[in-house]
Amino acid sequence: MLEIKDLHASVGGRKVLDGISLTVPAGEVHAIMGPNGSGKSTLSYVLAGRPGYEVTGGSVLFRGQDLLALAPEERAQAGVFLGFQYPVEIPGVNNVYLLKAALNAARKHRGLPEVDAFEFLQLVRSKMKLMQMDEAFLSRGVNEGFSGGEKKRNEILQMLVLEPALALLDETDSGLDIDALKVVANGVNTLRAPDRSIVLVTHYQRLLDHIRPDRVHVLARGRILRSGGPELALELEARGYDWLLAEAAA
Amino acid sequence: MTASPTSAPGPALPSTRDENWRYAPLRGLGRLQWTPPAALTDDAIASARALLGDAKASGARWTFIDGHYAAALSSGPAPQAERAPQAGAVAHAAADATDSGADLAFARLNRSHAAVPVTLRIPADTTLDLELACVAQSVGHPAFIIEVGSGAKLRLVEQHLGAANALTNLWLQLRLAPGARVEHSRLLQPASGARHFETLQLRLDAGAELHLVQLTTGGAATRSTALVDLAGADATLRWHTAMLGAGQQAHDAYVRVTHDAPGARTEQAYRGIAADRSRIAFNGHMRVTSRARGANSDQTLRSLLAGPAAEANARPQLEIDTDDVRASHGATVGKLDADMLFYLLSRGIAPDAAESLLKWAFVSDVLAKLPDAALCARFETAIAPLLPGAEAARSLA
Repeated sequence: MLEIKDLHASVGGRKVLDGISLTVPAGEVHAIMGPNGSGKSTLSYVLAGRPGYEVTGGSVLFRGQDLLALAPEERAQAGVFLGFQYPVEIPGVNNVYLLKAALNAARKHRGLPEVDAFEFLQLVRSKMKLMQMDEAFLSRGVNEGFSGGEKKRNEILQMLVLEPALALLDETDSGLDIDALKVVANGVNTLRAPDRSIVLVTHYQRLLDHIRPDRVHVLARGRILRSGGPELALELEARGYDWLLAEAAA
Repeated sequence: MTASPTSAPGPALPSTRDENWRYAPLRGLGRLQWTPPAALTDDAIASARALLGDAKASGARWTFIDGHYAAALSSGPAPQAERAPQAGAVAHAAADATDSGADLAFARLNRSHAAVPVTLRIPADTTLDLELACVAQSVGHPAFIIEVGSGAKLRLVEQHLGAANALTNLWLQLRLAPGARVEHSRLLQPASGARHFETLQLRLDAGAELHLVQLTTGGAATRSTALVDLAGADATLRWHTAMLGAGQQAHDAYVRVTHDAPGARTEQAYRGIAADRSRIAFNGHMRVTSRARGANSDQTLRSLLAGPAAEANARPQLEIDTDDVRASHGATVGKLDADMLFYLLSRGIAPDAAESLLKWAFVSDVLAKLPDAALCARFETAIAPLLPGAEAARSLA
């Protein structure tokens, strides 16, 4: 699904990714962990095509296609979804409009007709129920007046409606209380499928209690220092990141 | 001020050196032909008919072509025309001693072309729905005096449209007697190359309410001068303007609101978008005299720069002569928010549609002030060509 080879990237002239190589097969959940400032969010932004992030080397293949050659909206239409760490508020652009426009953009890309209005509303309602979100949210502006937890739920709601092939969830668990975390994790788990890959960027192991990863990678100083199974996350929780950083420096 | 328009001896026009005219599109006005046609022709009526289409007004509809009443395109009781006040005495009951000569220059020009103003008097405690369509074919100086009686209600929809390169100089005087209520929706849509100038003189007596929503778009240049007197206690003014510039258009508005009695309230919002190389400007001048204790005013002026060489100016001006006042004011000029844009792109929305969506959002709080859904749909139809790719957003707003 996703093949990253020796990826280098800078932000504002400062190098943030220093040779990342990573393969995420279809059907797997991978966690990327690391200390603050390690480049975790940068990796997500680079994959999603955010302006201001300059790729200075390496390649990224998404389903065999050169992802970096696509504009951000093309990546989304092709099935890449970024769940933002800090979702922005867009008053005046309606939540339900955005969902429908996004779904239709993806369908158009696949040569499908626009979604039927009634079916769409039914779909959205069922996903909102799963995410325990009040239907009143639909008529508000995107994330307008949402609490931090509500914004994160809205990201997962969008993911559930769009059913992307590759979901990049950037610190989706940050700022969530335990109940919200369970709802969000449940939503993500319902999307696990053989033809879908999920990348969880997270600082804390807690999320991984609820969404069990197939692989865990530790990203620090712009590089992947170690990869392992779910037990690696437990080891990080017990020991912190310093031992890995020290090992890498040695 | 500069020399008179050459086609008629008489009132001089302002220059951009005059206070309140700094951003006005005044270039070349002295060379224009300001004399309107003497009468309506069949051709003019036919062109106007084609332009207006078949839309039926729910109440009375008066259509004017270059300032002349067109009975054939109107419905409901015909308007009354009055003897014109003298050009030198632009009638305004609360003539403001501090009015700079420049501010009423276009009004004097309107009066000097001797079109007899149309007068509408709405009797006390009655209700009227009126659609006013002003079609500009060549040159027109439409003039209206509207007096809304005590406790009466007027729902006025005023539309300006017309032929390419036309010239309009409107004068409108609106007076609300105590307790009168007016909902005034204004669509200024001059055609390509056309110029639209207007002077609105408005007075609210005690307890009167005026809710005005205006959309300005199209043409080559527009300048709107509005002088509002809150002359009676507890008068309420809600003034909402959306201005969309495109191409090389220049749109300029000066709105002066004077609180001259206790307890009056003003709520003013301006949203301007300048695309391409257009220039937009809004000057919101609030005056609170010493007689206006307990004045309450809220003003937000927001401009969006959406073009490589666009210009936007938003100027709040406050003059306050009493301590007992509550006023909140703000003016911002900015570009489309990059984070919001990227969020939409990351959901697969194409860039031009994403920009259009954000621009709709930018003007949506002015459109939300329109009194009903049908008017909202009309205003949205006027805006839609400027904001491609986001039509479906309107129906779900």
